[in-house]
Amino acid sequence: MSELLKDKPQKREKKTVKVPTEASHGVRGKETTGRTKDSMSIVSSIDELGHHEDTRMVVTMENTYQTGPYKRFPVGAVTDILKDVLTNYLQEERYEVEWSQKMTKTICEVTRARVKDLMIPRYKVVVLVHIGQLTGQSMQISSRCLWDKSNDTFATYSFKNSSLFGMATVYGVYFE
Amino acid sequence: MEEFHNGNEGSFNSDEADNIVKECIEGVVGADDYSQNLVNKWTAGIVERCLTQLVKQGKSYKYIVTCAVMQKTGAGLHTANSCFWDTAMDGSCTVRWENRTMYCVVSVFAVAIA
Repeated sequence: MSELLKDKPQKREKKTVKVPTEASHGVRGKETTGRTKDSMSIVSSIDELGHHEDTRMVVTMENTYQTGPYKRFPVGAVTDILKDVLTNYLQEERYEVEWSQKMTKTICEVTRARVKDLMIPRYKVVVLVHIGQLTGQSMQISSRCLWDKSNDTFATYSFKNSSLFGMATVYGVYFE
Repeated sequence: MEEFHNGNEGSFNSDEADNIVKECIEGVVGADDYSQNLVNKWTAGIVERCLTQLVKQGKSYKYIVTCAVMQKTGAGLHTANSCFWDTAMDGSCTVRWENRTMYCVVSVFAVAIA
């Protein structure tokens, strides 16, 4: 019993642990389901989706009885973020090979950080950025997804100036 | 809801996905030359094929498949992606393919369910 409780401080990063306790115990964690039952006394806290830097522990999630997301993926806000980021970084720039390489990665990381700041719980985020040179060539980008269309969605924005184009897409996938 | 304990089989197998995607691209585009009229059909075809093949594996993943087809004119293209997910279970794979007249870049992202 107490050894299980001692394991708790170890989750300074994120872990979802199914910890049966005798006493009713408060639930800690980003997403509390607020379940403190006396009789069954199972404590669960929901994982924050992040990087597991140590050994990759595949954790089994405790049942949350949550049928859908409480807060949906805000497509409008994310589109604005993309517009803002792309315009700021690419306006008045010329296409150059090394610069574009770095810029694509930078834009990706900046966008991901800003979408994370929106703090949308239980959503996994995938950001995809294309930067290309405009030389009169033709190009087609398409994507298709197999997901739950009631919960998952995407936002996209494309930018063009005289020498280059930039396209960014953010997919939000709900973690059930 | 059952909980099943994933051992090592939990993670995404990107080599297998790589092969699947290559076969799909070659099946759809193969030896054709770039054509503005057909490119729409090609991208849709590649993406759909990849998705159906991936789903046939029967794993519990949601998939996002993106395909970019570009005519070869000496122009440059850069693509990057950044993902916020569970690195133990989720994964991605990107395949670059080219022929005489065009480039094709396909990215597959697999996001685990539960």
